[in-house]
Amino acid sequence: MKMVIFGGTPGSGKTSVIKFVMQELKDLSIHYAKFDVLTTEDHLLIKDKFEISTEKKISGEICPDHYAALEIPKIVEKHKNKDLIIIETAGLCLRCSPYINEGLAINILNILAGKPSSYGPLLTHADLVAITKGDLISQAEREIFRSEVLKVARNASIIEANGLTGEGAIDIAEAIKESPEIKGKLTLKHSMPTAVCGYCYGNKTIDSEKTLKRYSLGKELKARIPNLNCGKCGFKSCNEFIRAVLDKKVNEDTCPYLEGKKG
Amino acid sequence: MKIKKITIFSGRNKQGEKESFEKIEILAGQKIGIVGPTGSGKSQLLYDIEKLSQGETKTLRKILINDNKVQKDLRTDPARKIIGYLTQHMNFMTDTTVQNFLEIHIMTRGRHRSEESTKELVEKIIDSANTITGEEISKNTNLLILSGGQSRALMVADLAYVSESPIILIDEIENAGIRIKEALDLLIKKGKIIFLVTHNPILALDTDKRLVMKKGAISNIIYTSVKERGIANYLSWINNYLLNVREEVRKGKKVEELRLICTPVGGEK
Ligand SMILES: Nc1nc2c(ncn2[C@@H]2O[C@H](COP(=O)(O)OP(=O)(O)OP(=O)(O)O)[C@@H](O)[C@H]2O)c(=O)[nH]1
Ligand code: SF4
Ligand SMILES: [Mg+2]
Ligand SMILES: [Zn+2]
Ligand SMILES: [Zn+2]
Repeated sequence: MKMVIFGGTPGSGKTSVIKFVMQELKDLSIHYAKFDVLTTEDHLLIKDKFEISTEKKISGEICPDHYAALEIPKIVEKHKNKDLIIIETAGLCLRCSPYINEGLAINILNILAGKPSSYGPLLTHADLVAITKGDLISQAEREIFRSEVLKVARNASIIEANGLTGEGAIDIAEAIKESPEIKGKLTLKHSMPTAVCGYCYGNKTIDSEKTLKRYSLGKELKARIPNLNCGKCGFKSCNEFIRAVLDKKVNEDTCPYLEGKKG
Repeated sequence: MKIKKITIFSGRNKQGEKESFEKIEILAGQKIGIVGPTGSGKSQLLYDIEKLSQGETKTLRKILINDNKVQKDLRTDPARKIIGYLTQHMNFMTDTTVQNFLEIHIMTRGRHRSEESTKELVEKIIDSANTITGEEISKNTNLLILSGGQSRALMVADLAYVSESPIILIDEIENAGIRIKEALDLLIKKGKIIFLVTHNPILALDTDKRLVMKKGAISNIIYTSVKERGIANYLSWINNYLLNVREEVRKGKKVEELRLICTPVGGEK
């Protein structure tokens, strides 16, 4: 089985490009998953066009890329009979971008959306960078942009792609076909930032004392749960569970694994 | 790399039928028109040429340069790329002066030798852009406020002097605000091969041949006649006349005299 992750800022052309790429991969059995924070219809668009299995994954209260990293193993397990899994990220977090070493990491980079040097791992850790929307500007600027991308993503191959005409789709499909099969444990290309403050545990008041208090409470609870992200408490992740406890929306014994339950 | 010839080997149309020619050869210094209705395969042909495809695109066409396949980096590395592209949209997004922008592009293309030579090159580009557009561009003008005509003129001059790609693809360039024939002459003077998708008679009738597209295939090849060239020259004269009168109006002058007799600009070819 192969796996490809399409990362890129919202509206950069991920879904548009994926559609053309899938056209070139018709002989493969594919599962497509779209991650987003609040809502998406991309999985329906892809399903309509290609009649393959698709799903949406909504991250809600946690960083969509952390969420993707948590969910990817489950998706792989569930679709292990497929030839290829395509993941489209939410693209909201330039820092986290859940690229994995074992699969192919593709950054869909909107040429209109700012300087390449201001992107984080989303761009710098991609195996392949597909630059979109080049049709809207001059060739001279496309060339300049390309050389700026190469400065920060030194090892990436660069493709000029277009979500309207399908330009570049053949090259992307080629790269997917040549990418290795994933097996064994998957590893992230780079570490993601941790949850480090009270805001991460859902604090809303801008106040350092309250934030600190919230953080210690959150950390204390986090130390007592097994951090399995198993979902038995009804939340997608332990962090969301902790937020809900601190917000007094649920009791902490909703997590069946809680050690040293208060009597 | 010196380019003497491009060869297009036939592929298939949308129904999978073979195109009705074996191969088309195009020599350095030639202009090739691509005509046909929307959806007839014009852009796909440009795409095949830009990719220098070897049968991997949906038309299965093969393109050779000087009878050989082309290495990949000559297709993609901006410093060495042999194909230049002039697209319909020539908007800029970099907030900087014309001079600074050209300098950055010269660096990117690996053509910076010394401060002196770069400065000269920038001036040359702006001067020749100004022979193409009616509204003068100065080196301190901000890119973002260039008019459509000025942007087009600047990009043509840039293609001629900075990009130096020996093969140029032009997708429906508008002639508003520029002396379009002079623009192409500037490129052709440098021995380039030009492919242009256009229905503008000033351009289409001034090519060496026109490829007529139908259902995804090249269905006919028309060799431009002397008569057609004459018509193109005449239309080009009218276009330039319009541009001159427009400049008079812009400068706040009165337009007193009606000129009816055309003196062809390009001379007889
Ligand atoms: N001009 C131009 N428009 C494009 C190109 N690629 C995509 N678009 C347009 O950009 C818009 C967003 O494209 P999508 O493919 O939905 O972007 P996305 O990255 O999947 O967006 P999210 O999934 O919401 O993050 C659409 O209107 C596309 O038609 C391109 O290469 N050129
Ligand atoms: S039940 Fe406990 S371990 Fe499982 S997700 Fe909820 S908090 Fe985490
Ligand atoms: Mg999308
Ligand atoms: Zn993040
Ligand atoms: Zn935090």
